[in-house]
Amino acid sequence: MSRISVPTTAPLPSSLRVNPSSTTVTKILSRLSRASLISVALDWLDEDNLSLATPYLRPDQDDDEEEDDGDFYPPASSPEELREEYLSLQNRKGSKRDVLDRITTGDWRHGVSLYQLAIADLQYLYDHPTSQKWSAYNIVPLKAPTEDDDGEVQPLEADKTSLTIPRFHPSLFLKSLQAQILPDIKAHYNLDRHKTLPLLILRIFVIDSPYNTPLSLSSNGKMDTGSKTILIAFPDGSPNIFISKPTSTGPTGASESKSLRALLVEGIPKALSLPRQRVTLQSTSLTTRNLEGLLDRRGATRGNAAGGGWSIYADEKVKESPLSTVLPSPPLSDAAEEEEQGNGDKKRRERPTVEERVNKRAKLVAQARFGDTARVGDGKGVERVDLVMEDPFEIGGDDADRMDIEGEDDGEEAFRPNVRLTFHGSHVFAGIRQLVECGVIDGEKMPGWMTGEEGVTIGAVRNGRIRGHKGSGL
Amino acid sequence: MSSPLRTSPQPPTLDDEISALQSKTSTLLTSPSTLALLSSDPKLTSQSSLHQSHHLQTLYRTCATLTLFRAQDPDPNAVDAGSILGLRIEVVSRAKFLRPYYVLFNRPWASSSSLPGPQRKWLRVHRHTVPSCIPLSGLAARYLPSPDKDDTRRKQDLGKFARGVRREVVRYHARLGTVADLRKAAGLGRGGDGGDKSGLVDISPADAEVRHVSVEWGDGRTGRLVIGDDGEVEKLVVVGENGRDREAGRELLGGLGLAGTVKAEEVVRRLAGTGGA
Repeated sequence: MSRISVPTTAPLPSSLRVNPSSTTVTKILSRLSRASLISVALDWLDEDNLSLATPYLRPDQDDDEEEDDGDFYPPASSPEELREEYLSLQNRKGSKRDVLDRITTGDWRHGVSLYQLAIADLQYLYDHPTSQKWSAYNIVPLKAPTEDDDGEVQPLEADKTSLTIPRFHPSLFLKSLQAQILPDIKAHYNLDRHKTLPLLILRIFVIDSPYNTPLSLSSNGKMDTGSKTILIAFPDGSPNIFISKPTSTGPTGASESKSLRALLVEGIPKALSLPRQRVTLQSTSLTTRNLEGLLDRRGATRGNAAGGGWSIYADEKVKESPLSTVLPSPPLSDAAEEEEQGNGDKKRRERPTVEERVNKRAKLVAQARFGDTARVGDGKGVERVDLVMEDPFEIGGDDADRMDIEGEDDGEEAFRPNVRLTFHGSHVFAGIRQLVECGVIDGEKMPGWMTGEEGVTIGAVRNGRIRGHKGSGL
Repeated sequence: MSSPLRTSPQPPTLDDEISALQSKTSTLLTSPSTLALLSSDPKLTSQSSLHQSHHLQTLYRTCATLTLFRAQDPDPNAVDAGSILGLRIEVVSRAKFLRPYYVLFNRPWASSSSLPGPQRKWLRVHRHTVPSCIPLSGLAARYLPSPDKDDTRRKQDLGKFARGVRREVVRYHARLGTVADLRKAAGLGRGGDGGDKSGLVDISPADAEVRHVSVEWGDGRTGRLVIGDDGEVEKLVVVGENGRDREAGRELLGGLGLAGTVKAEEVVRRLAGTGGA
């Protein structure tokens, strides 16, 4: 290790070790459960990762027995031995503290590498899939720069008529992203495939230091005061990108972490651009904690621009071959027929009561408006939807001048009160669907934005529709 | 359809029998000789005409592959009273019709009084099920621009749009199929590591559009193959330990010529040939 720190523009190497007693390490490791800690440790000891996560092992000369006496966690002699030790820990019962102590004061007392921290951090994401808040961005091509009469370069515009789909090459992307990061902060990058979802996750760990030596990571260095982590997910086969909200250790202000995100949102499109093929990121007004829900709305599926009731067109399970000679039965037709029969025979058989029929009708309407989406257990829910109503208030005569406290009047003829709606819950649209099924909401009069078919979580409603249709991508 | 029923040791289930019967009745109902017999029964004639129109529809769907239909937007606030024009794009992959892709249009300018009459009927893509790797928005911006009362030269061309989307969709599925064929020819993808003869260990699409295909050899060489619009190998680069490995690239193309003139299917055929030998 070098004694002098020279400012550099290189990224932080994965093998760089961090003092295990620093707050960053304890914070990342202590939030994992015992089982996860052990599986992370076993992951570190894996053949492929061993070079970047070398544990503290007993030196080869076995003569210094007396040194081990005071050692609570005597070092193992080989990674295999250590692996078995952790495997046996897995079967034993014990407290999380023991495992954590063993890692920080025993087997990795000489330091935990940045790579190890990245693995541990990702494990936390797998354990708590909703721990991060993701925003979806669309990658769109830009027009070639043009110059006006004075020779000044015009600001770049999105090329709407372009037919190229932006391409993503991980290592090239990292290389050019590094060039975009300012020299006075240092970052560590780790790319990993998501265990279950078709995603590539890039973890960027940033510290405020121009050096990439262990000194900058020492406990009294910058690491504990201003390190930040940001996750970027690249879905397979889709020109979208999900960026998480940066989490930071230490007392950094909200504005600072916002500026880091802004910096990245600015840097990522430059890193994604290729010569003569520039791209930019466009917000798609979709922010959620649920990665699976994001993938469903912005991934490589058919349902991206066909949410809600339109999902019947996107369902790949439905067989609709033009070679089939059997007359197709339109969706809901069987049920609808049954109901019609029920209506006709009601007087004779007196089976379905009025209440039953109303319930059945409400269920059918919900099926028509939501299709197969927004089911409680489908795991694709968004937890928050914010909407601004921009429709004029329908004034019923005498109460015209009753409320002008918060309303902004838009001329004489239209009164537009400032109404903001926030839906909050574990699965917002499944909740609305349930209300429709119980008959609380009239499914036939319900506006389309309540079905979630736009695929946005932030929007403005005008004329009963969400403006812009950003969700449909057109 | 009926052969698996005959050969299977279990008796056919009721559902199988019903579906087999249904397909038979459908054919029966529309045959000219039955039509003559049915002419007296109004219920059966209406059923028969239903079947006939369905047959006509499937005929168009099979042969023209681009068909239009009408639909209704369930949203009570929908523009133009919820009238929807649907475009159905049929895709064939591996000798089977896939679920068609749909593009649904509405007419958001139908009630706008500031526009000249014909422009009020212009269409806009409302919903679609086309995968995100197809440049649908680019095609829509080209062929279905939004109306502008000052610009009378602007035109919408639904036919060009539909053909453009279909072309992209078919190319995409052809590329997907080619990659699958390449994998099969190299002996990959059926569990075992295979590929002993060709030395290939992985062939997989490297981008959303499946234009770039990454190729990996067992000895650490990696390659990139770019498939062009017409299925030709546009570019091929193989990088080994000591930089670019032109030899391996030529070998993969099998002396079929330079990259740019060789079709991807020929590479598939060549790989399959060496794999079998």
